[in-house]
Amino acid sequence: MPKLVLKFESATMKEVPLGTRPVTIGRAPDNDIPIDNLAVSNYHSRVYVEAGSLVLEDLNSLNGTFLNDIRIERAMIRHGDTILIGKHQVVVDQEHDAALPLDGWRKAPVPRVNETMVLDTQERRKMLEQAAAAGERSQLSPDRLRVPTLTVLRGRTNQKEYRISGKLTVIGHSKMATIRLRGWFTPQIAAQINKHEDGYYLGRGDQLPKINGARIEGLTKLNDGDLIEVGRVQLNFVFRD
Amino acid sequence: MRIEAGARTDLGRVRKNNEDCFQIEPSLQLYVLSDGMGGQAHGEVASNLAVQIIVAYCQQAELSRATPTFGELQPDVSDRTNRLASAIHLANRKVYEMAAANSEQRGMGATIVAAWLDGQKLSLAHVGDSRAYLLRAGSLDQLTGDHSLVAEKVRIGILTPQEADASDLQSVLTRAVGASATVEVDTNEQILLEGDSLLLCSDGLTRMVTDPEIASTLLTSTSAQEAADRLVELANEYGGVDNVSVVVLRVTQKSEGVLERLKIWKRNSG
Repeated sequence: MPKLVLKFESATMKEVPLGTRPVTIGRAPDNDIPIDNLAVSNYHSRVYVEAGSLVLEDLNSLNGTFLNDIRIERAMIRHGDTILIGKHQVVVDQEHDAALPLDGWRKAPVPRVNETMVLDTQERRKMLEQAAAAGERSQLSPDRLRVPTLTVLRGRTNQKEYRISGKLTVIGHSKMATIRLRGWFTPQIAAQINKHEDGYYLGRGDQLPKINGARIEGLTKLNDGDLIEVGRVQLNFVFRD
Repeated sequence: MRIEAGARTDLGRVRKNNEDCFQIEPSLQLYVLSDGMGGQAHGEVASNLAVQIIVAYCQQAELSRATPTFGELQPDVSDRTNRLASAIHLANRKVYEMAAANSEQRGMGATIVAAWLDGQKLSLAHVGDSRAYLLRAGSLDQLTGDHSLVAEKVRIGILTPQEADASDLQSVLTRAVGASATVEVDTNEQILLEGDSLLLCSDGLTRMVTDPEIASTLLTSTSAQEAADRLVELANEYGGVDNVSVVVLRVTQKSEGVLERLKIWKRNSG
């Protein structure tokens, strides 16, 4: 059975088998191929079989349906043709079977993409297991289990080394500061370190800190071994076991 | 340091109900925004209930230290941040109970993004895909991570941000207030500085308007309210496919003296 393959920048997003029923493409969630993009009309185009041939038809879409880069209203299509809708491509494949037969696929629950919905916990767990299998970063990263520390290399502070335990670490003269800077004319809040889901970020205070000699712009993620300079104070950011 | 607030919620150009809502409580320095979900008018019920409960809980917590806490306390954040998370845990329980008691409301829920200030210290808590952004010295940073399927896949490295933007599953959330008996609340803290702008918004803004456009709107507006109005208008101009809500806070200095201006100028020029 021939199929239509939805692609975005060469990544395959969806495969839909072509059967006796027309296949619709559009932004509305009840299309056979829904495309959540503003350039796509609600019911943009459709593909159906007529006298044994595959026919592509534009459904009066605003931005048009393109077959091999030519705008069409109605055209015959065959294996290897590329349909362009917005930024998405739909490739016609008559040589390979779709992963699922038409009937089975129709019965599968199709998420209503326009309406917000929440995954149930089971589906969420499945996704996280998938991630664990991929052995990836962030929450599963070993860095998370290691303690971030700041070692004072230069400058006047109340301690020589600090373990970062909170989500917010303030560097400055202020009472709120974990890393208390001493001396006259020291800013109350010189800089701050914020813990986000994927790591620790350095942000400015009344001073613009440097990381490894370069002034930061906005919140900047800290890497193991980074050298932080705030005014005349130099700190080394290191993850310890 | 003075906080100037502006806010606006709008139906958008496509939807029939506004399921978003916000509440600003200047006396508490508490700012809450929510985007509801669920068919008929149930999304509105969920978001309004959640916001009301959060504000009421925080008011109570300010009055009495004996106010009970809800959810697991997080050891790495302040008491105030834990109070804010506690408020969201309570809201979750109430919305969930309400949905469970009325069969036609099953499946209703809401996102939450809430900011609570203690002087210049910001406590932030969120659930779902409503966001908080910080504009500081011209650069815009997203302070919250969306609890959506595509965002979580990007974070764990199985989807690129480009694939996420093109995905037809952007509306699938992994967490929402009221969706299950308990919910995980993300928290964060920041020290706000004079000249900062903080933006809380629903996805109706961020799906329509890009980060650079948000940054330039915040930078070129003369007041927080003007920024809020312009952001909503921009989202509608680009199609307004969803309800859109924004809360904008601007941190200004108390006195507009020459010395203060000079200090800010000096700081921003590094």
